[in-house]
Amino acid sequence: MTDFGGDSGGRLKGVTIVKPIVYGNKARSFGKKREEDGHTHQWQVYLKPYYDEDMSIYVKKVHFKLHESYANPNRIVIKPPYEVTETGWGEFEVVIKIYFNDPSERPVTCYHILKLFQSPVVDGELTSSTTMDTKKGLVSEAYEEIVFQEPTQIMQHYLLLSEQSANGLLNHDTDFEEKKCKTLDNIVNVKQKVKGEIVTLKDKLKLARETIVKFKAELAKVQKPPA
Amino acid sequence: MSADVRDILDIDRANTPEITRDSFLATKKRNFERTKHASRRPEGMHREVFALLYTDKKDAPPLLPTDTALGIGAGYKQNKARLGMKKVRKWEWAPFSNPARNDAAVFHHWKRITDDSTDYPFAKFNKQLEIPSYTMTEYNAHLRNNIQNWSKVQTDHLFDLARRFDLRFIVMADRWNRQQHGIKTVEELKERYYEVISLLSKSKNQNQNQSSEKKTFVYDAEHERRRKEQLEKLFKRTIQQVEEEQMLINEMKKIEARKKERERKTQDLQKLISQADQQNEHAASTPSTRKYEKKLHKKKVHHQPRPSKVDSVVNAIEIGSSGIKFADLRGSGVSLRSQKMKLPANIGQRKVKALEQAIQEFKVDPGPPPTEDICTSFNELRSDMVLLCELRTALSTCIYEMESLKHQYEAACPGKTLNIPPSLVPIKSETLDNNAI
Repeated sequence: MTDFGGDSGGRLKGVTIVKPIVYGNKARSFGKKREEDGHTHQWQVYLKPYYDEDMSIYVKKVHFKLHESYANPNRIVIKPPYEVTETGWGEFEVVIKIYFNDPSERPVTCYHILKLFQSPVVDGELTSSTTMDTKKGLVSEAYEEIVFQEPTQIMQHYLLLSEQSANGLLNHDTDFEEKKCKTLDNIVNVKQKVKGEIVTLKDKLKLARETIVKFKAELAKVQKPPA
Repeated sequence: MSADVRDILDIDRANTPEITRDSFLATKKRNFERTKHASRRPEGMHREVFALLYTDKKDAPPLLPTDTALGIGAGYKQNKARLGMKKVRKWEWAPFSNPARNDAAVFHHWKRITDDSTDYPFAKFNKQLEIPSYTMTEYNAHLRNNIQNWSKVQTDHLFDLARRFDLRFIVMADRWNRQQHGIKTVEELKERYYEVISLLSKSKNQNQNQSSEKKTFVYDAEHERRRKEQLEKLFKRTIQQVEEEQMLINEMKKIEARKKERERKTQDLQKLISQADQQNEHAASTPSTRKYEKKLHKKKVHHQPRPSKVDSVVNAIEIGSSGIKFADLRGSGVSLRSQKMKLPANIGQRKVKALEQAIQEFKVDPGPPPTEDICTSFNELRSDMVLLCELRTALSTCIYEMESLKHQYEAACPGKTLNIPPSLVPIKSETLDNNAI
């Protein structure tokens, strides 16, 4: 390991490195309730790089915190693949904490709701990140980006090394490229709509206020004379 | 076995299904499998300890020792008593004298003919206390210390009573000759008695200089008096006093709870302050500008749409101060991009609710994949949406005001009316609907 001294070589001003990641879970139903513990599903919660690279170059360990009812709920994975396979019967929030090889970079935390059951399709929810596949079972995963703002020199070193190990896009169950495009398009469209409505509303509001002023004047005229 | 105990003690136990022949056979098989599964013991627990806890089923160990047909303790399992075949021993109504008595009284009791022992067996329980005595010289030498309260006659009377009633001071106080010797309490009797005892034993030790020193009791009469006085007071409290005391205790508990709560709050506040300080350092911005921004923000919060203050809302909207200011995650360090999309904490619940509705209304993903572009435009969109919601509320308030002015006008001069501009009318129902949600 290259030595960068006690302060990890200091921080690099103006440098930002982004590492996209994907985290989530797969689940497969047993098809019945298991007799001895009532478990119904086997699941696997995971964290993986978006591009096919060796995350262990910059990630020290990944801490998966499961529901407290599991024996030994704090599962720590030192090297890829960062995943935990378990069986269970219920959904809960998994806390995924990523520690970096440079201790002066603070760990980051993702929260993932472990999905076992396909949620009913909500109207217009083009986003539902869960997909059902008869072959693979249920997949619920999310895209995320780790942003290294002004990383320390040693951290930058690790990140670049990892980038060099990159080998194209990793095969994901969810097509995030398509999703990104669609989502951005949708947001831009809706923004246009909202902006349009704001303009008309502003006009209407202006008219309404003018009318109020007019009405008040009229009312004053009518109410004054008797006095 | 343990299931029965649980029933008796009224402890919940899992419903066991009714046993049929088939299920019985099936469970037998399953038990075997389960043993394998349950034998997974937690890390660090010794096998022996685990075996004590969980043997086959997850059943608690038995609470009572059991007697099985096997083993030595087979006593309860035998259903016939083994009776001896010896001859019956006879009893007889016999006289006896109690050696503990000195009046030679003769009583009768049943005893076995074969038992020849003549001594009355319970005589040995008649223990005599050893009450020390003193001679005239001893008295004059050591015991004239408290002559105004205790004369020789009184002390003699006390020791006589002590011998007669075996130091049962309550009885002694009762039998005390009040006419001759005046009234004495139990405490006074005890005090004098133990005083005399200790003085005598001291003097004897001095004389004989023996190392076999007999220990004497020290009787703290003052303490005893106070104790009884307190008990008396406690007993004689009235119901009102008891209630008042209970009330005071409750009040004290409340005060303490409040104090704790206050301490906790100050601690939380301290934590918040220190966190805010850290963030300030993190953002590397001068504290004064930060504070200024915060103040500005607070003011804006006050400008939140209030139906009665249409003007202030309209002003806020026109200035463009409406919408959301998202946290700027600059500065160094690692963060998740999705943090950029988090709503700032100073946004009110109502605003958040309205925003959620708007997001649903326009069918936008509430948690889009956080690329930089998406984050930026998503935040801008939501800021616009908040503005939109505020405009809608403001407009509906204006329309409401117009309506009420119109009614006032119609009431003031019947037959005439004011015309609300047609472009404002159809929106009315829509906006009201939106508000009603």
